Amino acid sequence: MSEFFHQYFDFTIMGDHFSEILEGFLRNLLLFAVAVVLALIFGLFLALLRQLPGKKFMPLRGITIAYIDVFRAIPLLIILFLISGGVPYLNFLPKDIRIPHWFGQPDPFWYAVVALTLVYGAYMAEVYRAGIEAVPGGQVEAARSLGMNHGQTMRHIVVPQAVTKIPAPMLNEMISLLKDTTLASVIAYSESLLLGREVLAETFNSSAVMLSGLMFLVVVLPMARLVDYLIKRNQGKITRGAHMEVA
Amino acid sequence: MAEAMIRLDGVCKRFGKLEVLKGVDIEIGRGEVVCVLGPSGSGKSTLLRCVNLLAPPEEGEIFLEGHDICKGPGSGTGEESWELDFVRQRVGMVFQQFNLFPHKTALENVTLAQEKVLGRSKQEARAKATELLERVGLGDRLDQYPETLSGGQQQRVAIARALAMDPHVMLFDEVTSALDPELVKEVLDTMRELAAEGMTMIVVTHELGFAREVADRVIFMDGGVIVEEGPAGEVLENPKEERTKQFLGLVLDR
Repeated sequence: MSEFFHQYFDFTIMGDHFSEILEGFLRNLLLFAVAVVLALIFGLFLALLRQLPGKKFMPLRGITIAYIDVFRAIPLLIILFLISGGVPYLNFLPKDIRIPHWFGQPDPFWYAVVALTLVYGAYMAEVYRAGIEAVPGGQVEAARSLGMNHGQTMRHIVVPQAVTKIPAPMLNEMISLLKDTTLASVIAYSESLLLGREVLAETFNSSAVMLSGLMFLVVVLPMARLVDYLIKRNQGKITRGAHMEVA
Repeated sequence: MAEAMIRLDGVCKRFGKLEVLKGVDIEIGRGEVVCVLGPSGSGKSTLLRCVNLLAPPEEGEIFLEGHDICKGPGSGTGEESWELDFVRQRVGMVFQQFNLFPHKTALENVTLAQEKVLGRSKQEARAKATELLERVGLGDRLDQYPETLSGGQQQRVAIARALAMDPHVMLFDEVTSALDPELVKEVLDTMRELAAEGMTMIVVTHELGFAREVADRVIFMDGGVIVEEGPAGEVLENPKEERTKQFLGLVLDR
């Protein structure tokens, strides 16, 4: 039992490497912060493309649906390798794009941002879609009967209501995204897992990796509670709404 | 009758295989109030949705102030055609379920389309909305959200919202059916005033009292066709068609 405890919870190793792992974890958070903003925007963009009306936009809708399907089907890790192991050799691109070092961040950071945005944009597009489809059809009819066009109806009526219906599933996607930032370790972005594995390789002890895991736990647990709270609150709203209908 | 406000010519509407309207002809004059009665599923609501192209007909023609608004019937949604703007700027609609925008206050519900569609300034739209909401008796509720209003109040906001676009025709789709009996009157009163001011109105309703009192003409529909039409008193008191008698009998027996 104590052997087990030592393998995973050696406080000396944890203490020695705490600041290093924490620094790595802050890089996880930075990667998350940039990728989540871009994915939220890109996902909404995809969801809106998918809602474009009429025969004219059928090809665009088709391409969007295909994109969403493809990027939900291919493992994020593979996308990550396809980008980090391919883009640098696309010589027709300018060097600043092939090997980006924008805002003082290393190129693995940006490859990971792109991979996370492409994949989570597709996931989040589906969440937005659920929200958009949950807005009653009467809202669209009312807006259209007042002369608003499709774009105005989406912007002023549908999307503002759709986003209030999806905070819980969207937070779940964000939690997944945060955890998936550890995948960037395999393309040498020195986040907490990469640093923890270096300690593991030196000492054959898992405590530093465990420490990285605990840091995620500390951040994600409150988020998970928040999801539950939002779901409960939303149910309350629905019940009240039903009551209003009767009243 | 001078040029008809609205004329329907052999209008047919299908949803998939279901034929909802089977050739409807109607002519409605400027300032006329027409009530449409009939059992559910008879095509009354679809008729209204055809007139403002929320559900464009597959066959037939609809003329609004002399303009053919469904040129090339069957040409799809009509989404890209000019008629859509022409129609929506002239035809206001009020729905059974109110369909107020829940994330906007009463005032914002009435100003939004004025600003975005008609390009009115904030002040202009606000002034117009305030005036209309006062007219429907809600001058003290401007900043309330729909969920804090009663059904009758919500429906009056919806009427003000449609009127703010300066429509030439108003369509009412069973606007009192979702209301408590005691809230029905306040909405019908608002509609009475509107009719008295000379608004052209097509009213789908089950309120026979309202039809008798306000309508110039009553149309009774069943199975996607017009069964009987005529002056309100005549159709309601002495219906000629067996189906009309049967329906009116059922409604009055309640």
